[in-house]
Amino acid sequence: MIETGIPKLDEFLGGGIPKGKSLVYYIQPGVEGEIFGLQTIYNSLKKGGMGVFVVSSTIPDIIKGQFREFGWDINQFKDKFFFVDAYNSLIGAPSNEKYVVMNPDSIEAFSKIIMNALKELPPSTIVFGSLSTIIDLCGEKETINAVRAWNKTAKLYDHVLVYNFTAWPYSEETLKAIKDDMFNAVISVGGIAERVIFGQYFGIFKADWTKEIKKSMLFRVLRPGGIRLYIPKILVTGPFDSGKSTFVHALSTRAISVDRLGTTIALDHGHIDYKGFSADIFGTPGQERFDPIIKLLSGESMGVFLIVDSTNPTDFIRAKQMLEITKSYGLPYVIIANKQDLSGALAPEEIRNQFNLPPDIPIVPVVAKDKKGIFEAFEVLIDKITGGL
Amino acid sequence: MSDYTLGIKELDSVIGGIKKGSNIMLIGPPMCGKEIILYSIMYYGASKNENAVITVSTRESATHILEWFKEQKLILPLARVGIVDCVTKTLGGASVENENIKIASSPVDLTGIGVKISQFFEEYFMKKNIRKTQLHINSLSTILMYSNIQTVFRFLHVFTGRIKAAGSLGIYVLESGMHDEQAISTLKQLFDGMIEIKSENDKNFIRAVGLSPKPTPWFEYEIEGADVKIVGRK
Repeated sequence: MIETGIPKLDEFLGGGIPKGKSLVYYIQPGVEGEIFGLQTIYNSLKKGGMGVFVVSSTIPDIIKGQFREFGWDINQFKDKFFFVDAYNSLIGAPSNEKYVVMNPDSIEAFSKIIMNALKELPPSTIVFGSLSTIIDLCGEKETINAVRAWNKTAKLYDHVLVYNFTAWPYSEETLKAIKDDMFNAVISVGGIAERVIFGQYFGIFKADWTKEIKKSMLFRVLRPGGIRLYIPKILVTGPFDSGKSTFVHALSTRAISVDRLGTTIALDHGHIDYKGFSADIFGTPGQERFDPIIKLLSGESMGVFLIVDSTNPTDFIRAKQMLEITKSYGLPYVIIANKQDLSGALAPEEIRNQFNLPPDIPIVPVVAKDKKGIFEAFEVLIDKITGGL
Repeated sequence: MSDYTLGIKELDSVIGGIKKGSNIMLIGPPMCGKEIILYSIMYYGASKNENAVITVSTRESATHILEWFKEQKLILPLARVGIVDCVTKTLGGASVENENIKIASSPVDLTGIGVKISQFFEEYFMKKNIRKTQLHINSLSTILMYSNIQTVFRFLHVFTGRIKAAGSLGIYVLESGMHDEQAISTLKQLFDGMIEIKSENDKNFIRAVGLSPKPTPWFEYEIEGADVKIVGRK
């Protein structure tokens, strides 16, 4: 078993990656995912293993520089760490590495070197810096067949194969093969996007040696330092007396409110751990004079719950205004139609009409005081944030 | 004001503003001043329109680009200017990232370039709260020298989509005469319009296609320092 050294991931994988297995980091374009391969190989070297890094989109020296940026000294592993250089010959430059692919755009040439390395070396961790570049150079079908053969051979020789793959819009067939059947494990690395990507997460899509854990974690990349997890912030806002504090308390495993005369004047704060996703919840006050606080609290949030009192349509104008304040930050949001148990409560579709909301904005019927519908609402927002893992 | 302008007055007034979310190809022969036209669009966008401008450069290092503006005595609002430099590391130069400069490892490393573009987008959109962003790629021709057309198409497919989603403006420079017709028409599918440049009898002309109901007339232009001056109409 080798450990990836990525916080929480080893735990999710039941300790790490067993010898003979293959794993792909399936990375959405634009997300800083290549670090996953780097951190995996560095950690396995640190634990005394052998490591090989296959470079295909830049020269090995630049990869060495990237290790340095993260504060990882790889020179100490001189006899245990090699490069397969599949780039220099592409630009007609000489290479000093142990393994050199002379024609990186021919899958046969590529395969020959990889197979040699697999057969010669003692059990190692072999990381492909960019599987997508190999596909781009050698073709989709050709590369897929070769990767299948490499994975098979690695199994015989007890190597661990790890691939970074950027999921550009390749053919459906290729993407499906990569996601479903070429690798023992698929780790999805994605971005939270509304109009631009503003947060990154990873989660296990599959791992055939352990019970599947459907968890996703948000991360940031620190230089030096590598991958660090963080707890996202979710904002709860809405007009006065719509039930924000009740909602925050109902959703949270622990919560606290700053109240005066029964209404929130500063904020509600709670924490939720639900189905493997944890978040900090911030509730804003509802009265207009506290609007500056909404702006303050919505910074760095990942998503918004807008709570409305379904029996009080006159407050919808105010709700819309509050939404504008948070939406100006471009966050994903879900409308909570609270107090559905009271007579005269409008149905979600009626609220949609009154708000003039597009059909893709979710409106979830809820009775916050009885905890009805709140976890469904949480799941809907998480789905919106992660784009459905 | 929700549209984008280029800063070339005569052309802007015929086009009447470029719609948010547009992706445009800037295509012309070598040595016709495309780079300066792009820099002038960049300067106008950042200084006059107060947009954020992200430039991916595969031809000049970021330091060179910033120096050029200094030499021309043009003050760029640096808080809104980002350059993804794909040259410096390939040449083995010292590469330090800062607020304005991010370094990609090579023009082949489209994944890396994509990450740097996304980081600038996040910074301007989420942190600095700038709603209008321009992405300039100079040039697709260099990227096409390193990667094949399908690869570049996939890359552009993703990023032209992001430009649309974010309501930004994308400008992609292409050298005419360097690529076969088929490659150009493949790429054209991704664009909403084109700024076309041609040279005839030592004179340079520019026009826009697809940005107004019919192509604009050809305007003759001259470049003086950093200025793109329209001197006539064909």
